[in-house]
Amino acid sequence: MGKTLTIDSTLRCDVLVIGAGGAGLRAAVAICEQIPAKKIIALTKVTSPQKSHTTTAQGGMAAVDPKDPVDRPIFHIFDTWKGSDCSADQNVIKKVCDMGWEEVVWLEKHGMHFSRTEQGRIAKRPFGGHMLNFGEEKAFRACYEADRTGKGIMDTVWAESLRYGVNFIAQCVATELLLKDGTCIGAIIFRYPEGKFLAILAKATIMATGGNTRMYQVSSNCRGNTGDGLAVALHAGLPVMDLEAVQFHPTGMVGPGILASEALRGEGAILRNKDEEPFMERYAPTAKDLAPRDLISRAVVQEMREGRGLFHEGHNAPHVWLDLRHLPKEVHEKKIQEVCSFFKRFVGVDPEKDLCPVTPTAHYQMGGIPTNEFGEVQIDAQSVVPGLFACGEVAAASLHGLNRLGTNSLLELITMGRVTGGRVVEYLRDAKKPEGLPPDAGRIVFDQFSTYLDARGKEKYGQIRDTLRNLMMEKVGIFRTEEALLEAIESLRELKERAMHIPIGTTSLKTNQDLWQIWELNNLIAVSMVIAQGALIRKESRGGHFREDYPERSNEFNYHTLVSMPEFNKLTFGKRPIDMSMFEAKGERFELFDYIKREY
Amino acid sequence: MSKSYTITLEINRYDPDTTLSWIQTYHVKAGGILRFVDVLRKINDEQDPTLAWASSCEHAQCGSCGIMVNGKPLLACELLVKDAVELFHTHTFKLRPLTIAPVLRDLVVDLEEAYDRVHKAKPYLIKPAPPEPEGDEYRISPETLDIYSEATRCINCFCCAAACISTHRHFLGPNVTMANIVRLMDQRETAKEERMDMLYREDGVYRCHTSRACSFVCPKDIDISHFLALGKEGRF
Repeated sequence: MGKTLTIDSTLRCDVLVIGAGGAGLRAAVAICEQIPAKKIIALTKVTSPQKSHTTTAQGGMAAVDPKDPVDRPIFHIFDTWKGSDCSADQNVIKKVCDMGWEEVVWLEKHGMHFSRTEQGRIAKRPFGGHMLNFGEEKAFRACYEADRTGKGIMDTVWAESLRYGVNFIAQCVATELLLKDGTCIGAIIFRYPEGKFLAILAKATIMATGGNTRMYQVSSNCRGNTGDGLAVALHAGLPVMDLEAVQFHPTGMVGPGILASEALRGEGAILRNKDEEPFMERYAPTAKDLAPRDLISRAVVQEMREGRGLFHEGHNAPHVWLDLRHLPKEVHEKKIQEVCSFFKRFVGVDPEKDLCPVTPTAHYQMGGIPTNEFGEVQIDAQSVVPGLFACGEVAAASLHGLNRLGTNSLLELITMGRVTGGRVVEYLRDAKKPEGLPPDAGRIVFDQFSTYLDARGKEKYGQIRDTLRNLMMEKVGIFRTEEALLEAIESLRELKERAMHIPIGTTSLKTNQDLWQIWELNNLIAVSMVIAQGALIRKESRGGHFREDYPERSNEFNYHTLVSMPEFNKLTFGKRPIDMSMFEAKGERFELFDYIKREY
Repeated sequence: MSKSYTITLEINRYDPDTTLSWIQTYHVKAGGILRFVDVLRKINDEQDPTLAWASSCEHAQCGSCGIMVNGKPLLACELLVKDAVELFHTHTFKLRPLTIAPVLRDLVVDLEEAYDRVHKAKPYLIKPAPPEPEGDEYRISPETLDIYSEATRCINCFCCAAACISTHRHFLGPNVTMANIVRLMDQRETAKEERMDMLYREDGVYRCHTSRACSFVCPKDIDISHFLALGKEGRF
């Protein structure tokens, strides 16, 4: 049947970076800064690293200047712990929060254009869940570049990678990890333009493939965030962690779900229901519109359920209002310029005069490939995979646990990127050059691609994609129940089967968008299955995971969920303990680092 | 539901296996608030899975979906059907790939060489000034930043390069030249001489014929020609 697929050629390098976004390239630059002569290959799915999803991040990057007169790193550490609903790892939180300011200065020194105060210093704005004095009042902690902070960061690490001569391969995906005797020696990649498979042998491989929320009908993620990295790891027999923790950002623009940054509320915007009531006052009396995202997203849906939402005729979708009308013109024009332009172009409203229709949008995967605090990928709670590292959204160290605070993701990309790069440098000292390809190299991906190319049947890609996205939104979304999750799992089995019967438009391998998207669709279905199964076994509510049938957090679930799924729907579950080192160190206010009650 | 339109798309197709190219016509019924990327997706779903086009963020922040619509370079993600009908006074749209790069298939182009030109502008700080005091952040007034921050919003979608009357092998292009000018205006950059050489050499700013087409088509509304004019004047 069909074509014989082969590996066209083999490239060699010291370090292979899969995914050239903020985390991947910060890691690459960290390596170059210490050992510039190493050959690094960085892969990107898009046409240039500059177009990575990092570039769409808007609001800011949290970092406490140690010289700040009112804010302190320990407040940030506490907020992150509390924000995670007591499920992040305290060793990672401490490391990341302590490094934050150093990395802001690094970015600035390498050309990022942070917004300034009148005194010419880096300006800071408040963000959800970031507070002073262990939760008393809002903190000005998010360093930002207007409302394009992610772009500023991306441009900086991309430009630095250029300076050091990192080799980019654009428009490609890593389709299979190469493991030999338990050590990672690189990956098989597929190049979209010429439709060729290449093997890349590397002493060290860094997975930094980013997020995956395109399986939700309303999502802020870019078209290519289809969980490829997670699916490739699962196929390689590696576990993933806490995937049930999907973050819904409360303010996506009605319709496709384009992000309307939390920075808007940081600058003073207010959520209102159909009676124009500022409803967050009822749900979070202290933090109000700056409560964490999980809490606000649930509040928005609650308002809609109780009949206080609105309905957008054009997009045929429910929404609430975000009110920016009272913000000064200067803020509209300079501090939130991009988002205001998005509202005008995509929704047809002028935020200076009109209320803006918003709805929760699937935004971020808190879970990911489990790593230790150095970015080394774990095969279980105790041991690591030599040669394999992960950082950024695809990884879970875990800084966020089951809920992430806004501005902590850009912080994580840059800090954990650097930490991972540093660890790779150490690893390279004794690492051996891979001898050659494993005998079965390409088996997994050739099987997959042959199936897609030879498929016969009447199924349609678009229908399966839309069914998946509606299913996940409805049954594995903000509110979950056992009944809905079981239905979702059954439907996912059916969708996987149906996806095997999509006749391909053309069997050419060159720039074959259809083939590329069917591969992505299979990755989405696989990752969706792990999300649903993880959500089913976590019979409690914590952070972004909310079970209506188990609405309280339970100490029984004080652990991270590990899931392996080498074959579709053949799952094994494991656990990883939560690191409590801040609590155990018995330092300042250590009692706050216990499993505390979470109120805002 | 909002108003629906029946539009006709005449799309340049190219098959890299046979090297044949042709124009294919699609008739689509689409809601006015759909973006052109949604329309292209609709064609894939309902009529033709083989039509290839490019996009990524789909909200004008990455610049992956530049195409020519009735001769105008723009981002397919930010053109709404109702706005297109109003802008072009027609229901028929000719879609072509961006003219500044080789075509891979249909509307998908290979931006590698175009991006190599951006790399030539060395978008980093070649020789950063030491911060004051050392180890701390720089002191940059908001007024200073305001002078050039618009130019830092460029997403390298190459729409300006496609519209530019001087974009050929002798001009690096509006976006690339502007990237260099940003660093000339940036007080943290000390390698001004190297940057001036770059700006005024054979493929530099004087290749610009001041048609201002770049400013008219920029999807981010950046007044690119303003920055090029500052470059010509040497006002950094």
